[in-house]
Amino acid sequence: MSELETDQTLQINVTRKRSPGTTAMNEEEKREYQEKYRLAKLHGEKFFPDTIYKDVLISFALFLLLIGLATFIGVAPEPKADPSDTSYIPRPEWYFLFLFELLKFFPGSLEWVGTAVLPGLAVALLFLLPFIDRNPKRHWKNRRFAAGLMSAIVIGMVALTIRAVVTTPPQAEATVAGTLAEQIVAGQDLYAVHCVECHGADGEGGKIQGVQGLEGVTLKPINSQDEMYTRSDETLYAVIELGQQTLGMPPFGRAYSGELSPGDIESIVAFMRYTWDDRAEMPKAAEQASTLPVLKPGETPDYATHIEPVVKRYCVSCHRPGKENNNYLMRTYDEVMNSGDHKPNIVPGNLQSNLIRMLRREEIEAGGPMPPSKPLKPELIEMIERWVIAGAPEKASGPATK
Amino acid sequence: MASKWISRLDERTGIVGVYKTVFDRKIPKVNWWFTLGSASLFLFSVQVVTGILLSVYYVPSPDHAYDSVQYIMTGVQFGWLIRGIHHWAASLMVLVVFLHMLRVFFYGAYKYPREITWVTGVVLLLATLGMGFTGYLLPWNQKAYWATTVGTSIAGTVPGIGDFILRALRGGTDLSAVTLTRFFAAHVWMLPLVILTVIGIHLYLVIRNGISAVPKDHE
Repeated sequence: MSELETDQTLQINVTRKRSPGTTAMNEEEKREYQEKYRLAKLHGEKFFPDTIYKDVLISFALFLLLIGLATFIGVAPEPKADPSDTSYIPRPEWYFLFLFELLKFFPGSLEWVGTAVLPGLAVALLFLLPFIDRNPKRHWKNRRFAAGLMSAIVIGMVALTIRAVVTTPPQAEATVAGTLAEQIVAGQDLYAVHCVECHGADGEGGKIQGVQGLEGVTLKPINSQDEMYTRSDETLYAVIELGQQTLGMPPFGRAYSGELSPGDIESIVAFMRYTWDDRAEMPKAAEQASTLPVLKPGETPDYATHIEPVVKRYCVSCHRPGKENNNYLMRTYDEVMNSGDHKPNIVPGNLQSNLIRMLRREEIEAGGPMPPSKPLKPELIEMIERWVIAGAPEKASGPATK
Repeated sequence: MASKWISRLDERTGIVGVYKTVFDRKIPKVNWWFTLGSASLFLFSVQVVTGILLSVYYVPSPDHAYDSVQYIMTGVQFGWLIRGIHHWAASLMVLVVFLHMLRVFFYGAYKYPREITWVTGVVLLLATLGMGFTGYLLPWNQKAYWATTVGTSIAGTVPGIGDFILRALRGGTDLSAVTLTRFFAAHVWMLPLVILTVIGIHLYLVIRNGISAVPKDHE
């Protein structure tokens, strides 16, 4: 620009003052800003290496932080999506929590204010900010309104987020099987609870005893090679989920008023496949976790180590709420020792306890032989007897107190 | 020797000019808050790399999505690390991009001549949130399913066009396989392309106008 031209534009601009509608600054202010910026650059630093060194340092720190977070906290396991589970409390990712919380202030017919008007307004304001804010000053001290408004919004967002976290009830604990081995072990426990009373502890089938509505029905084994070779995982899944109602098997899927989530059913299928199908090789970890404990000579049995796995596999299927069991529940040590219409069913040190007599298949006042259809293996009965003689301890240290 | 090769390369590509424009330039003395922009860019690159690796094993269908993520976590060498980084970098990126926006706001850096840079930045902020929203559904777990059910139904309450938005997001009235593939397409194709393009414009403007200076008391 020649000197003459510069003078002319200067004159024009001085007379024009600030023109509304175009931009926040007039030409003179713009030039003034550019000049200041030129000086700032002159006294500034080189982008490479002075500035970029800081950028690289921060990015590297973030990278280390990410590796640390991924390694030491990881990603929390979650059960598979289950559209039938209406008890699940939905919650968004943390950075949407404030929006979620904001909606609570606009109930019923006002909902659209919170869902559409406010967010829409916020986005529009954000886009138009440079064209709405005509204050040429840049330091926050000279922009008290703008700085104050933004501060208030940010504090509000943080407060809403905290409120959302504090007021949301904790999610019901759900176990998630991560590896195949975990899935198989989880499946074994679920099988013991939901399937054993009809299909037997090893899928052997036989005559059903003590199950309401199915008394005396004879089931074929479900652990045979034929069964395993001709039923795909999908078939097994469908049978468990939907039941086979003409044969008397009720549906177990939660979507059909059963108790099992899709993940539960998948675990049971995995357990069946890897335990009974001779083509599938049981993972080592699952093998160890699912074998029943063996008592070493001279070892004192205790509930947690030796008895609970047996109880879980052979007894809990019927001895849980909602089943015919004379109110004798066996889900915990406490229940095993102290529940039931004929309690105590276990008297520490006494081999004439109800439980021992029934395991020995005696017919007594408390009931008939247990388990009804097939006796426990002699070594398991012996282990339980030795446990009762030892005082029925809960843990490895010391006898029971009750 | 090296300079000879560089000058031969420059003769054919103009690489020295590019280097001078991008790296060898003076900028005002700035503080550590000015690293938030490059940190956002870095986190985006991390997401691109880990995201591409995850897409090797991930299957966007309700029957396989959950299992494929499970397999990434337990069956793939270092799969847990890649997914862990992708998961955490997503949260961190939202945080860093937001802080970057606050830095620009409180330094008044969106004013002349950087108005358009700000507008592209707002697009990037919204696209980042969009990535968070669409990516959240992909593992097809309980959290994902129900958060997306609620999230999309919120969009459905917008007066007039709410029902249309809801159907467009879900690909029907309910959350289904169509929703999952839709969110997958948005997460790996549409939004990343938007982000890449706008990052290009954003960076061009940042280099063209120079990074803003820290305002002085009287400014």
